[in-house]
Amino acid sequence: MGYGRSDSYRVATTQDKDEKESPKKKGGKDLDDLKKEVPITEHKMSVEEVCRKYNTDIVQGLTNAKAAEYLARDGPNALTPPPTTPEWVKFCRQLFGGFSILLWIGAILCFLAYAIQAATEDEPAGDNLYLGIVLSAVVIITGCFSYFQEAKSSKIMESFKNMVPQQALVIREGEKMQINAEQVVAGDLVEVKGGDRIPADLRIISSHGCKVDNSSLTGESEPQTRSPDCTHDNPLETRNIAFFSTNCVEGTARGIVVCTGDRTVMGRIATLTSGLETGKTPIAKEIEHFIHIITGVAVFLGVTFFILSLILGYSWLEAVIFLIGIIVANVPEGLLATVTVCLTLTAKRMARKNCLVKNLEAVETLGSTSTICSDKTGTLTQNRMTVAHMWFDNQIHEADTTEDQSGSSFDKSSTTWVSLARIAALCNRAVFKAGQESLPILKREVAGDASESALLKCIEDKNKKVAEIPFNSTNKYQSDKHYLLVMKGAPERILDRCSTIMMQGKEQPMDDEMKEAFQNAYLELGGLGERVLGFCHLFMPEDKYPKGFAFDTDDVNFQTDNLCFVGLMSMIDPPRAAVPDAVGKCRSAGIKVIMVTGDHPITAKAIAKGVGIISEGNETVEDIAARLNIPVSQVNPRDAKACVIHGTDLKDLTQEQMDDILRNHTEIVFARTSPQQKLIIVEGCQRQVLYSHANNQNPKLCGLLFCQGAIVAVTGDGVNDSPALKKADIGVAMGISGSDVSKQAADMILLDDNFASIVTGVEEGRLIFDNLKKSIAYTLTSNIPEITPFLFFIMVNIPLPLGTITILCIDLGTDMVPAISLAYEAAESDIMKRQPRNPLRDKLVNERLISIAYGQIGMIQALGGFFAYFVIMAENGFLPSVLVGIRLNWDDRSTNDLEDSYGQQWTYEQRKIVEFTCHTAFFVSIVVVQWADVIICKTRRNSVFQQGMKNKILIFGLFEETALAAFLSYCPGMDVALRMYPLKPSWWFCAFPYSFLIFVYDEIRKLILRRNPGGWVEKETYY
Amino acid sequence: METILLFLSSLLVCVAAVTDPNAQDGKDGKKVENPFVYDYDSLRIGGLAFAVVLFTLGILLILSRRCRCSINQKPRAPGDEEAQEENLIVSKAAAAAKETPAEN
Repeated sequence: MGYGRSDSYRVATTQDKDEKESPKKKGGKDLDDLKKEVPITEHKMSVEEVCRKYNTDIVQGLTNAKAAEYLARDGPNALTPPPTTPEWVKFCRQLFGGFSILLWIGAILCFLAYAIQAATEDEPAGDNLYLGIVLSAVVIITGCFSYFQEAKSSKIMESFKNMVPQQALVIREGEKMQINAEQVVAGDLVEVKGGDRIPADLRIISSHGCKVDNSSLTGESEPQTRSPDCTHDNPLETRNIAFFSTNCVEGTARGIVVCTGDRTVMGRIATLTSGLETGKTPIAKEIEHFIHIITGVAVFLGVTFFILSLILGYSWLEAVIFLIGIIVANVPEGLLATVTVCLTLTAKRMARKNCLVKNLEAVETLGSTSTICSDKTGTLTQNRMTVAHMWFDNQIHEADTTEDQSGSSFDKSSTTWVSLARIAALCNRAVFKAGQESLPILKREVAGDASESALLKCIEDKNKKVAEIPFNSTNKYQSDKHYLLVMKGAPERILDRCSTIMMQGKEQPMDDEMKEAFQNAYLELGGLGERVLGFCHLFMPEDKYPKGFAFDTDDVNFQTDNLCFVGLMSMIDPPRAAVPDAVGKCRSAGIKVIMVTGDHPITAKAIAKGVGIISEGNETVEDIAARLNIPVSQVNPRDAKACVIHGTDLKDLTQEQMDDILRNHTEIVFARTSPQQKLIIVEGCQRQVLYSHANNQNPKLCGLLFCQGAIVAVTGDGVNDSPALKKADIGVAMGISGSDVSKQAADMILLDDNFASIVTGVEEGRLIFDNLKKSIAYTLTSNIPEITPFLFFIMVNIPLPLGTITILCIDLGTDMVPAISLAYEAAESDIMKRQPRNPLRDKLVNERLISIAYGQIGMIQALGGFFAYFVIMAENGFLPSVLVGIRLNWDDRSTNDLEDSYGQQWTYEQRKIVEFTCHTAFFVSIVVVQWADVIICKTRRNSVFQQGMKNKILIFGLFEETALAAFLSYCPGMDVALRMYPLKPSWWFCAFPYSFLIFVYDEIRKLILRRNPGGWVEKETYY
Repeated sequence: METILLFLSSLLVCVAAVTDPNAQDGKDGKKVENPFVYDYDSLRIGGLAFAVVLFTLGILLILSRRCRCSINQKPRAPGDEEAQEENLIVSKAAAAAKETPAEN
C-alpha cells in the first residue's frame, strides 16, 4: 500500500505549480515543500538511534534543562493558527470589493463634476454633490451590512473552537509528570493510554495493545495497532509512529516525541491548507463580468453623447459634465443593496436548513457546481463500525445498520445465534459508559475498540463475565459447571482450529461441503468491504479441567483445537441513511459525484455501491475482467463507466491520463489517497469543463483560452480533507464530526452532518442564481427611462424631464422592495432536473438580458414617462413644439416673462414648479411601468399565468412602491424637501397603457419562446 | 390564499374609488369658478390617505401569511421554505426505508 508515496508524481506537479506561481511571492516555495510527503525517518531508526538523535534517555527522559532549551528553540507544541485577517481589512474588503467599486467610481465622478461646476459657475447646482454623497452612503451602508452578516457567521465558527487545554504525561529526569501539551518538546518521553489525544508525533518504543484512531488523518474507520517495530517504509503506513492530534482508543504506549507543532504531519497539512490561495467565487466572477458589461454600456453612451454635445456646440467643460452625468446615470445605485440582501436572505434560509455559509458569495456556488468530490468516512458514512452481516446456520443474515434502528432485523430464534451472541459478548472488552440507560443502544457511548463496540451494540450484552484470562484473541470463561472456551479472530485462523460446526444449535462434523460454504460466505462478506470475524467455542470437559484449573497462557496447557465453529460476523462503517437519496438527486441534477477517500479500495467500492456513487449495473475494468474471465489489460477501459483508482496508481499518472480518467468515467472512486493527492484530484476536476463543453475544438487551444473550468465542491470532515476543501470552489465541512482545521478551510458547514443538506445547497444556489438574473433585469430596466430624459435635455434642449433626486427615489426607494422580492420567487421548472450551468456560457448577465432590459422594456418605459411629461407640459400650456429648444430661456433666472403656446407669461419660479411637477409625474410613471416590469420579470420562460402570483413579498412590494410614490408626491413639505409636487389623479394614468403594453409585449415574447424552442426569439432574447 | 388576495385587491379598488371622487369633487367644485385654480389641499389629503391605505394593506398582506402559518400549522403553509423542508423530511424517511434493501 503505497499510501502517499507519490514523490515522483509530486515533482511533476511541483514544476507545474512553479510555472503558475513564479511571478508570485516567494511563499510559493514553502508551499511546494509542504506539498511533498512527510520527511519523517525515525521509524526506520532503532530506538537507540532515535534517543541519540534527540539526546534523550529511554528510561529517564529529557532533563528539565534540555527540555527548556528545546522549548526555547522549537517553540511551543501547538499549531500556528492560520493568519487571521484583521477586522479592518475584512471591512475594507466589503467596502471596496466587487460591485462597490462601480459605485465608488460613480461617486468620485460626481464629486469631480461638482468640482468642475463649482469652479466654473457662480451658483453650481448641488445635484452632483448630493448624488456623490448618496452613492458613497449607499456603499458604506451596504458594506457595513454585509460585514456584520459575515461577522455573525464567523462568530458561530468561533464557537466550534475547542478551548480545553490538552494535557500530556511526560517522563523527565525519570519522573512522570502531567504537563500542558504545549510544553512538550522533541525528545520527550511520552506515555499515552486509551482515550488520550496523542500530544505530538511519537516514535513508539513500547506498547501494550495500543490502538489509535487515524480516521481524521487517513480516513481509515478502523483503529490501527501501534507497536515498536517498523512495518513499512512509509511513515504514514508504519506502525511505530503515532500522529499528533489523533486519538489513542485503547491500550497504552510509550514513545519519543520526534516532531512538535507545525512540523508534525498534522501541522504540515494545516499549514499547507492555510497557505493555499483560493480563487474568486463563481458569483464574484459573474458580478465582475456584469460590471464590465455595464461599464461598457455607460462609457459607450457617455462618449457618444460627449461627441454629440461637442458637435452641437456645447463647451468642453459642459460636455465633460454631461459625460460624467451620463456615466453616473448608468450606475444602478440600488443593485448593490439588492444583490447583498438577496444573498443574505438565501444564506439565512440555508442556515435554517442547517447549511451555514461562511462567506455570502459562497451561497450561490453549490448551484453552479458540476462535480462533488466527497470524502467517505464521516461524510458518506456514519464513522462508527456496525455489524452488518452474520453467517450462521449456513445462511447470511443481515443486521440493521440504519442510524435510527428503523431497518428490519433478522431471525434471532436460532440457538446458534444465542451461542454466537454469547461468544461475541464474552470475547469483548468494550463496555457501555455509565449513565446512559435512557438512550437507545446505538446512541450510547462505548469505551473500547471500534469493532468490539460494534459487536457489543449488536448483541445487546446481557451475560456476565466471571473470569477472564487474556490469550491473544482467545478468552475462556467459567460457567456454572464447566469452563467454556470461546475464541474470535480472523475467520481462516479460527476455521483451522475447528473440527465441528454448529447448525441449528447442534454440533456437526465439519465436512468439505461446509468448508466451501464457509469460504463462499467469507468471500462474499469480504467482497462487500466488510471486516469479517470468526467465532468458535468449546465446552471444556469437567474431568480434564476441574474447578480452579490453572490455565497458563504463556505455556498453553489446555486444548485450543478441535473447537466448534459457530459463525461469522462482519462489520462495516455503514453509509448514512440520507446519502443514497442525496447522491441520486445530485445525479439527476447533472452533478458528478466522486468519492475520494484514504480508506482501502474494497471498502470504498462497497460504500460507493451502497450509496449509489457507483450505480447498480455499472462495472469497473476489474469487474468486466472478472466476468469475462480475461486479464485486466485486455479490457477496453472505455467499456467501464465506473472505476476505482488506488493512490499508488494515481501517483504514476500524468496530468493527461488523469484528465482522461475524469473525462471518460462517470463514476469514480479514489482510494488510499493522501491529503496532497486529494488536492491534485480537485485540481484535475477543476480543469474539466473546457473539454466536456468544447470538445469539438482543439483541446489545447481551449486550455489556453479558459484556464478555469468546472466548479468543484469538496465535502469532508478530516484534517486530511482540508487542503482539498480549501482548494475547491466550495468546501463543505461537517459541523458535528468535522475537525477544526477542516471547518476553518471550508466555505460552508453542514451543521447536522447530513449529506442531504448539500442537495438543499444546490437547489438554493440554482434558485438564487436565476432570481438574481430576474432582480438585475428588473433593476436595470428602469435605467433607460432615467437616462433618456437627460439625453433629450442635451440633444433637443427641452426642460429637464427627470431630476437626480427623483432618479434616486426610484433606484433606492420604490425599486428596492420589488427587486428584493424577486429573490423569493419560486423556481419556474424543476431546477434539480437541469444540468449545472456552464460557467463559460451561462452568465449571470449577458447581452440578451441587457438587450431586453435596456433595448426593449426600458424603451417602452421611457416612452411612458415622456408621454406623462408632455401631457403635463401641454396641460400647463407648453405644447411640445414650443418645448424643443426652450432650455436656455427656461433655465435662465433672469427671464421672468417666458411665453407658452397660448401666450401666457411664466416667471422662473412658476416654470420650475411645472418642471418639478413633471419630474414627479415622470417618477410616478416609472413606478407604474415598473409594476408591469416586476410581473414580467417573475418568469424568464413561463407565462405569469402559469407561474401565478403566489409570491406575497412581491405583492407587498407592489403595494409599498405605490404607497411610497403617493407619499412622496402628496406629503406636505415634499415640495421644499425633495421638490416633488402633488399630481392630479388623471396624471397617474398616463403611463397605464405603456404598462399594459409591456406586459402584453413580454407575454407574447415568452409565448413565442415557449412555442418555438431553440428559435430566433430564444437565441436573441432568452436571458 | 387566493380569496384573501381577491379580497385585498377589491378593497384596494374600493379605496381608490372613494379617494378619487373626493379629489375629483374638489376639482369639479372649483373648476366652475376658475379653471386655473386647483384644490391641491384635498388632493393632498386624498393622496396621502391612498398611500396610507396601500401601506397598511401591504403590511397586512405580509402579516397575514405569518398568522395563517401559526394557526393552520405547517402542512398547509404556502411558503416555499416550509414545503421544501417537508420534502426533505419525506425524502429522508424514504431513503431510510430504501436503504436496507440497498445494503446487499
